[in-house]
Formats: sequence, structure tokens, C-alpha cells
Amino acid sequence: MEVFLQVLVNGLMLGGLFAIIGIGLTLIFGIVKVINFAHGEFLMVGMYAAFLLTTALDVHPYTTAIAVIPLLFVFGMLTQRFLIQPLMNARDDHIQIFVTVGLSTALINLALLVFGAEFATTPPSGLRTALEIGPVRVLVGQLVVFGAATLLVVGLTLYLNNTQFGRAIRAVAQNRAAARLMGINVNWVYIVTFGLGAACVGLAASLIAPLYPTSQTIGTYFVLIAFVVVVLGGMGSITGAFLGAMVIGLIDSFSAYYIGSDLREVAVFTVFLLILILRPQGLFGGRQTLSHVS
Amino acid sequence: MTDQTLTPVQSPPSIRLRGLVALVTVLAAMLLLPVAIGDEFIYHIFITMCIFAALSTAWNIVGGYAGQLSLGHAIFYGIGSYVGVMLVGMGISPWIGMFAGAALAALVAVAISYPCFRLHGPFFTLATIAFLEVFRVLALHFRDVTGGATGMMIPLNIGWEWMVFRERLPSLIIAFGMLLVILAIAWWIRTNRLGFQLIATRERESAAKAAGINTVRVKLYAVAISAALSAMVGTFHAMYLTFIEPASAFSLPFSIQIAMFALIGGIGTVFGPLLGAVLLVPITEFARGALGGEAIGLHGFVYGVVLVLVALFMPNGVMGLVSRFFDRTKAEAPGQAGAIAKLPAQPEPDDIPGPPKAVPEPGDEIVRVVGLDKHFGGLHVTNNVSFKLREGEILGLIGPNGAGKTTVFNMISGFLKPDGGEVSVRAADGGWRSPVTPADYAAIGVGRTFQIVQPFAAMTVEENIMVGAFHRHHSTDDARHAARQTAERMGLARYLDAEANSLTIGGLKRLEVARVMAMEPRVLLLDEVMAGINHADVLRAIDLMLSIRDTGVSIIAIEHVMQAVMALSDHVIVLNSGRIIAEGKPNEVVRDPDVIEAYLGKEFTHDA
Amino acid sequence: MGWSKTLKATVAAAAMMTATPALAEVTFGALFPFSGGLALLGEESARGLEIAVDEINARGGVQGEPVVLERGDAVDNNQAIGEARRLISRENVVAIFGSYSSSRSIAASQVAELAGIPYFELGAVADEVTGRGFDYLYRLNPTAEDMGEMIIEMIVEQVAPALDIDPTELTIGILHEDSSYGTSVASHQNRFAAEAGLNIVTTLSYPANIVDMSSLVLDLKEREVDVVLQTSYQNDSVLFLRQRHEAGFEPAAIIGSGGGYSMQQTADAVGTDLIEGVLNIDFTQYVVNTEFTPGLEEFVETYRAKYGEDPRSGHSLTNYVGALAVLEAIDSAEGLEPAQIRSAVDAIDIPAGTTASGNGVWFDENNQNQRARMMGLQWQDSRLVTVHPADAAASELRLGD
Repeated sequence: MEVFLQVLVNGLMLGGLFAIIGIGLTLIFGIVKVINFAHGEFLMVGMYAAFLLTTALDVHPYTTAIAVIPLLFVFGMLTQRFLIQPLMNARDDHIQIFVTVGLSTALINLALLVFGAEFATTPPSGLRTALEIGPVRVLVGQLVVFGAATLLVVGLTLYLNNTQFGRAIRAVAQNRAAARLMGINVNWVYIVTFGLGAACVGLAASLIAPLYPTSQTIGTYFVLIAFVVVVLGGMGSITGAFLGAMVIGLIDSFSAYYIGSDLREVAVFTVFLLILILRPQGLFGGRQTLSHVS
Repeated sequence: MTDQTLTPVQSPPSIRLRGLVALVTVLAAMLLLPVAIGDEFIYHIFITMCIFAALSTAWNIVGGYAGQLSLGHAIFYGIGSYVGVMLVGMGISPWIGMFAGAALAALVAVAISYPCFRLHGPFFTLATIAFLEVFRVLALHFRDVTGGATGMMIPLNIGWEWMVFRERLPSLIIAFGMLLVILAIAWWIRTNRLGFQLIATRERESAAKAAGINTVRVKLYAVAISAALSAMVGTFHAMYLTFIEPASAFSLPFSIQIAMFALIGGIGTVFGPLLGAVLLVPITEFARGALGGEAIGLHGFVYGVVLVLVALFMPNGVMGLVSRFFDRTKAEAPGQAGAIAKLPAQPEPDDIPGPPKAVPEPGDEIVRVVGLDKHFGGLHVTNNVSFKLREGEILGLIGPNGAGKTTVFNMISGFLKPDGGEVSVRAADGGWRSPVTPADYAAIGVGRTFQIVQPFAAMTVEENIMVGAFHRHHSTDDARHAARQTAERMGLARYLDAEANSLTIGGLKRLEVARVMAMEPRVLLLDEVMAGINHADVLRAIDLMLSIRDTGVSIIAIEHVMQAVMALSDHVIVLNSGRIIAEGKPNEVVRDPDVIEAYLGKEFTHDA
Repeated sequence: MGWSKTLKATVAAAAMMTATPALAEVTFGALFPFSGGLALLGEESARGLEIAVDEINARGGVQGEPVVLERGDAVDNNQAIGEARRLISRENVVAIFGSYSSSRSIAASQVAELAGIPYFELGAVADEVTGRGFDYLYRLNPTAEDMGEMIIEMIVEQVAPALDIDPTELTIGILHEDSSYGTSVASHQNRFAAEAGLNIVTTLSYPANIVDMSSLVLDLKEREVDVVLQTSYQNDSVLFLRQRHEAGFEPAAIIGSGGGYSMQQTADAVGTDLIEGVLNIDFTQYVVNTEFTPGLEEFVETYRAKYGEDPRSGHSLTNYVGALAVLEAIDSAEGLEPAQIRSAVDAIDIPAGTTASGNGVWFDENNQNQRARMMGLQWQDSRLVTVHPADAAASELRLGD
């Protein structure tokens, strides 16, 4: 029973980690409707930035968020403006995918060039301290990630529902042409949304950096999981992404313990494929996200 | 936006000849250069080039023709490698193993693609990546079968039987031979029925369905062929490497690379992937030599940046540039100048069309619609709609915007499933059938157009019509012949070689009808073919429809242009808010107060 | 047409670019992964080879001719084959040294075998490298099998006595990353443990890029494992060492198999407390009884002078010793023909404990060096100290404080 509880908690904490990375992706994927294969590399860039700032200024890793979030926000906006937007009207989405794949390859190798193949370890600053709550143990840093993911979901949902610009973003997500007719500057909305998505990753980077060693390949692992989370949650659904992340975290944790750690990826991707095939609108998505009848 | 229309088929002979010379030169160089230089390393580069060109060409059948961006093609390559190596271990020649691998890969491809092809756009890509990961992990896990992470080796038995050689020429000959075979298959597909159907499916899936294409089935053909070919290359490459392991056989970067050669060469073109590999492989190899050892990561960084730049500024790849060059020559040729297809001025018929010519007596019923019902959420868009269509009759379907006309069309052509009610169509043999899918409807002879025109943008006018003609004809020549006849009849003969996109709206509407007519339908569903075209064109369209009707085709037409409705229809149905509010002869229906109210609002009925 | 001309021009230009005129020097190939994910230790391995070449050249080269190294970048298997071909046909190397990575070595060595060019493996550990019946492939470094054997030997001879427990009563858990490296070491651990009658309670594998190992840690904890054997790269070493601590899992001993366990960055990442006392098996490292490794200090000096930093791992040392032995043998050969090189190399007989790594050289019928062995190491006071075997040990094993 204790083991079960611990596996459960581990799964939820892992879910928090996937959620905070997946939320940014669901904004980009759901609203701009671009597959950003470089999403994981955004995380990597953020983590390297957090590492550099923490070690250079000798500050707590969390404080780097003040700089990393705006950095990633601008980085995301530039990506959308100069790499994606010119191809928004391309007849098929292949080209956009290739751009992000190219960006991802370039960033990974740039990191290799700048930082070498060694790992960069941000000081844990006490965040890897385990708390014993009853029979289970969790890390301070994991709890923070989990809490931050929850707050991010609430905050973004409020923002999208209650602000002028948030509503504009939703309008664009629903119907780009109609939104344009309503006088919304669609391209600008895309740029800001992409920036927001990247900024979420910036927050994730500052929170995750003290927990995991940073390497140039850290993004490649997370990006596939993040896509699974987003598809599971339903395109563009922030709450969905959060719940999807929890599901994947639990599947990962339970399959690793009860089936075998070498097959956890098979378990995660099998669930992903089943969802794609049986419920392409996502576990928590509305019905219309994918319906497409001419 | 695309130059994918450049196929050897429709280019004038001189350009075809030049293209052929270019192709033969490249291919000959690929074989003869290494032989002439006689250097082992050069051999290796050319073998690698052939392998990548072959894989990329095979990928292109799915990724280019069918427009399904697979980033998991290493699955099939890996299956070919593993099956080949395992069978060699049992003493079976890779020449046999190659086909075993191909068969297995085709099966796997169909099994994993069938569910995925229901997904659109990025989801298919994600699913292929996920499947690739699953295959890699499974190959690692089942060590008894696959050797696990340490991989498998083949014994170094030298000789043709085992595809292992001390000298390099035989390997090059095999790789080159495979490339030729795969190019020939890709070319054959592109110039035949399957290719037309694939590209039509890629361009406009719904229009392709309306043209009677079973879109899922043709995509499955494509993926099976592509997977089988990839697997055969995989078997050969495994023999060439003599060693395989899951990390390299089921590799995502490798899959991306395959797709990238096609992108850079020109996605969807027959020879683009070849060109991409021929240009990129040597550059990559030498660049690696020049950059790789110095600063780690520099080479990969340059590679990524180049990929971004190509995608941004050369989305049609090298073939785009090449065909632009050809297009210029084409433009200079007389009679081909500018593909602007404004409709030709025709002798204007009388402003007000005379009374319909002697209308043939409507024959037996051919379509029966009983009690159709459809809800969208809380909206009752079709409410107990029933009507009949007789042979040789034109049935006008009118009603204000949002009345549910197009929904009814979608339900009587298989694009929407009704919540209730039944549609039956009398087949040519006289029996009554209830078709379900668009393909069923097309098969029984119901053809439709779309309110918003759906041309296959990457195709010429002739090719567009051929897509319809392929419904009846299997050979390309027959389909072309039929398409030309149809074009003649529809007044599109002058624009056969023009890109569909260059037509005016009137031209596009006629193209839409022509494509359906090429299917030789017995029942024609026309959705606002006259909306948005000028007066002269309306008059011509009326004549056209009457002439179609006179050949014995029954027509249901949704129309807003009242003049046309009055002139054309033998019978009119008026829909409002999902239900039939009036029905009868055209001149009776327009006097019906309900109809006037529906169109103009309540106050007008009193005045009327 | 235009593009075919471009192609020809490219090939021709490249051919000119890479062709080097043959001078009176002897060229050897250095085939390592210099880019991509394996670049760090590939480069480190190559440095050892470079120092060996410098030393030989300082002594007057091989058979009176200076030695030149031509690098080949084996970034993936297809590339390893291509670069091997280039080195052989274009650079006319007399032999190839390689390759750190086992799969690159397996792929590239068959090219050399078919071309009849000697291939000297200095660092790849997988069993499959030798044992294919190749005539021209020699391996100088100890193997995964030796690693497995050494670990079990160390448990029986050192760990169990230090814990004051009969070795068969220890519960042992094996944890390994799922590539060829982890898989083959783990399978040898299992085999030798079975032969020694040890109790292996579980064998868990995972992908090296894993981000969470809490489930594995929990599994080991539930099974009350006393000794954990992990075969891992850096990321997963750091992750395990941290997560086992966070989960409150305190095995009596943790034994790594090179990889991440030999790297200073791993120690830095997890901190002094967590790395202290952790055991490891690897090539010879730098804190060792130098009576067993004469020349080690000079090697480190030379390395510092040449590269401006301390050696980053033991790979350079092992590559240096192996390469030096081969180059010396070739120097004394009758000529540079493959057959002459082979007979000179076949005749090498260097006893253990006389080289900078302590490894001797003597090839068996599979051309595997039988006098190269791994060493048992322990992190003591943040340094990786040799503790096994006894004649190489720089310090006593510290366990069960």
C-alpha cells in the first residue's frame, strides 16, 4: 500500500513536470496550429540560460525566471514572426514542420558548440530535499513545479477568458478567417501566442533547471512526451493538457514499477496511439477540435 | 504556389526530351563517376547517395504524392534490415529476405496507417513518430529475436548470393539498380491512375471522394508500396553495413533525413528526392570532413540552419527552380502564352431565354429521399425532408441562406450521415441501393460539385478532369481522351495545360462540373454552380445544363440565381429552416406566400 | 544539364580538396566519433592516441619515418564505414586506430577486414568487436566481459569482507541503460554472479535519456537490495544517485561500470556527500599505485602541456598505452605491409604492471589482449581512487563506516 501511494505520488509529480512543459506547447499547437518540434529545445535554451545566470550571479535558480521568461517570450515571438509566419499560408503544413525540425537541429548543435558535450548542473539550492509526508516522500522542487503548473493553468484560463486579448486569442483559435473579419490582427495574435507558449517554457526551465542536469539533448525526451500530453488533453485545451500530463505521469510511473522500466515508453506511446485513433479530439477535448467536413 | 504539375506527361516534347537527357545524365554519372575515379571512398559516397535517393523516392510516394508526412519511415527500413539479417542468419539469401521484409513492412504499414489516415495533418506525423519509438523500444526489449541493443551481424560470406563483396562495384550496381526500380515505380505511379488519385486526395480530400476515389484505400496502397520499397533498401543497406542495431535501424533523425532530401529536392515531384540526395549527400560528406572534426556541433548547426533556410525560401525545393526554368521556355512556345483563362466571349444568346425546348417526359424515379433528419448540436438543420428525382429531370433546390440545402446535398452524396431517414438510388441494373460512403455514391453514378469550388490546385485543368475520368477508365490514355472530350464539351479545351488555379471563378465552376461530368454520372448534384459568375456565363451555364439533361442525366441543382431556376427546373423544392415549405412547378412555387415570406420576410406576404 | 555539371564540379573539387600528396611519412587513421553525442569521450580517446604518436615521433617515428594521423569522424555507423573507406583508399593509411564506440568499431572494422588493413581497437568494450574471426582486427583494451568479472570479483573479495557478510547472502540488484554498453555489461554481471553463487534479485533496464528513476529506486528499495550495480552514462548516473538518496534508499554499496561513474562532473552534480564511497569499475584512472603504472605521471604531464587541462577520463590513458604498444611493435616490424604489421603485433609480449595504465599486451587467438584488465575504483574524498586489485590499489576500500 505504501509502495502504491509512493508510485502514485511519483506519477503525479512527474505529471506536474510534464504539465508545465506541455501547457506552453498546447498554446502553440492548439492556437497557432503549428507542430513546434523545437519546443524541447526552447526548454533546453531556457535551462542553459537559468544555469548561466544562477552560476554567474550566484542567485537562487528561481530568481532567474525574471530574466528567462522574457527571454523565451521574445525568442518565441521572433520564431513565429520570422520562421513560421512566412509559411502560415503554405498549402500544406509539411514546410512548417521542417522549419521547426531545422530549428531544433540547429539549437541542439549550437548548444553542443557552446557548452560542449558536458552536462551543466545548476545548483539544487535545497530544492532536491525530500519531504516526508506520512508514508510518502516528495521533493520540495517537485512540489513547486506541481504548484506552478496548477497556477499556470488557472492563470492562463483566467487570462484567456477575461481579457480582451485573451478573447482575441480564443477567437483566432476557433476561426482564423472570422477573427480577421472581426478586425483582429491575426498575425499579431499568433506572434504573442507563440511568445506566451515559449514564456511558459521559460518558467518551466527556471523551475526544472535545479532538479535535472542540463544537456543539449534534454529537450528531445520532453518534446515527444509533451506532444502526447497535448494530444491527450485535446488541442489547445489548457486544463486538458494538465489532466493529460497527470495521466501520462501516472502511466509512466505505474508502468515503470509494475511492468518494467524499459517498456514505459511503449506504455506511454501505446496509450497515445490508442487515444489518437479512438478519440482524436483528446480525452478531455471538445468534440469539434478535429472535426473536419467540407 | 507549387510547381508540382511538372510531370513528363504534359510537357511539350522538346522539354520532355531535355528533362530526359538531364535525368539520364545524372543517373549515368551516378554509375560511371565512381567507376571512372575508382576510389573506394567515392564508391561509398555514391552508394550512400543511391540508398538515400531510393529511400527518399520511396518516402515521397507517401509524403509527397499522398501528402502524408511520415517521420517514421525508418520503421520500414528497419524491418527490412532486421528481416534480411535474421534470414541470412538462417542461411537464406538476402535476395529472398528482401521480399520477405518488403511483405512484412507492407503489412505493418497498412496496419499502422489504417487508423492514422483518419487523422489529419500533424496527427499522422506524430503517430508515425510514436510508432517508430515503439518499434525501437520493442527491438531493444526482445533480445532473443533481435539481439537487443547489441544488434546483429551477418557472417562475411562473400558473393552475389549474399550481397557482400570485397570490391565496391557490385554494391554500387545493386544500390543503383534498386534506385532505378524505385524511380520507375514512382514515375509509373505518378503518371497513372493511382498517382492522380493520390494527388487529388492530397489536394482536396472531399473533392477526391466526390470523384469516386476511396481516399483511404489509395493512401493505403501508397503507404504499402512505399514501405515495401523502403524495406528492400533496408535489407540491402544492412548487408552493406554488415551490422544493424535498433538505435540506427529505427532512428528518428534518419527518418527526418529521408524526408529532408525529398523536401530539398522537391516534395511530390518524381525526381526531386533523387536530386535532393544527389546534391546533398556529397556536400554533407565533405562538409563533415571539413567542419566536423574541428568544432563539435558546428556541422550539425550549419545543417539545421540550411534546413530552415531551404524551407523558408525554397519551399518547392530544387525541382521548383528547375521547373521554373522549364516554365520560362514553355511560356515562349506559341499558343502556350500565359495561362489566363478568362472565358471566351461567345455569341450572346437572347437576354431572356425562351421557353424550355421540348422537354422530354420525365422517366422513372432514380433517387428516393425519405424522411431525412439531421441535427447539429441543438440545431435541427434537416427536418423530415423527402423528395424524388426522376430520370432526365432537373430538380431545383432553393431556399434562403441557412435553409439546409447543402446539408441535404451532403447527405445524398455520402459526405454526412443522416440521423434519420433513407436515401436510395436506382442502379444501372434497375435495382435499388442505399449507398453510404461518397465512394458508394460515385460508384452508383451520383456525382456532385461543391459550392466552394474545390480544384486540385497542383494540377492542370486536364489533370483535374482526368481525376474524374479515372472513375470510369483505368488507363491513362483513355482517361486523357475522355477528359479532353469533356473539356471540349465544357468549353475548357483551350485551357487544358493551364494550372487550375489560374482560371477565373467562372472557369473554376465549369471545371468543377467538367470533373464530375468526366465521371459520366447518371445523377448530377450541382451546388450553386452559377453563384458569382457573370450574366453571360449564367446563360451559357443554363444551356450547358439543359444539354446535359438532354443526354439523360438527372440533375438536382441548388441555385440562388432565380432566373436560372425558372429557366431550368422541371420541378422545384423550397427549403426553409430544414423543412420543405413548398414544392411544384417553378412558376407555381414563386407565387407561394410561404416562399415569399421565407425569402423576403413577413411584411412582404401581405403586400403580395 | 546545369545541376549535373554542378555535381561533377562538386565531386571533382572535393576530390582535389581531400587528396594529399604522399610524402615520406607513415599515415595512420584515427577513427573516432568527433561530432554528435559521443564526441566528448571520442575526442578524449583520440587525445591518448595523439600523445602516443607524439612520443613515437620524438623517438624518430616508425621505421625511421614520421607518423601522421588522419582523423575520421565516425558519427554514425554508415559514416564510420564511409570514413574507414576514405582512410584506406584515399589516405592510404597503413592501419586504423579507433573507435571508443563499439557499434562504430563493429561497422568500421569489417571495412578494414575486407580491405586487409589492420584495425586496432583501443577503447570499445562490447564483446562483439572481437570474436568474429577477423584476421586484421586487434583489441588492446579490456572488455565488457572483464568489467562484469571484475565487479563480481570485487564484491566477493573486497565488498563482502568489508561488510563482514558472506557474499552469497548479499542481495544484488542490477540496473543498466538499454544500449549495447549497459546490456552487455549487465549480462556479464549476471553470468559471473551466477558462477560465484551470488544472489541477483532483479535486473532492470531503462533508456539512458530517462528523466525519472523513482520507480526503479522504489523497486530496489522494496527488494531490500544491499548492492546496486549500475551501468550508466552521466545523466542516469546523476539521476540514480540523487533519487536513491531522496527516496531514502541506502544500499550498503553502489558499484558503477565506468561511464557516468568515472566522470568528475557526475561527482560535482550530485555533491560530495552522495558520491562518497561509491564504487566503480573502469579503465585505469589517475589515482593509482604508480609502481604498478610506470609512466603515468609523465603521461599526465604531457597531456596537460598539450591540451591545457587535466585528462577528463581514463580513456585517453588506455588509448595511449594501447597505441604506443602497437606503434612500437610496428617500428620493429620488417616493413609496413599488413602481413608484416600483423606478425610484429602478434609477437607483442608486454607484462602487466609495466605500462602507464598497468595493462600488459599479449593477444589470444581472437586477437583480444589478454593482459588488459579493468580496475576497481572508489570515490574517496571526491577523488576516484583505485582500490582493486591489490597491487594497483592506491588506498584501502572504505565501506560500512
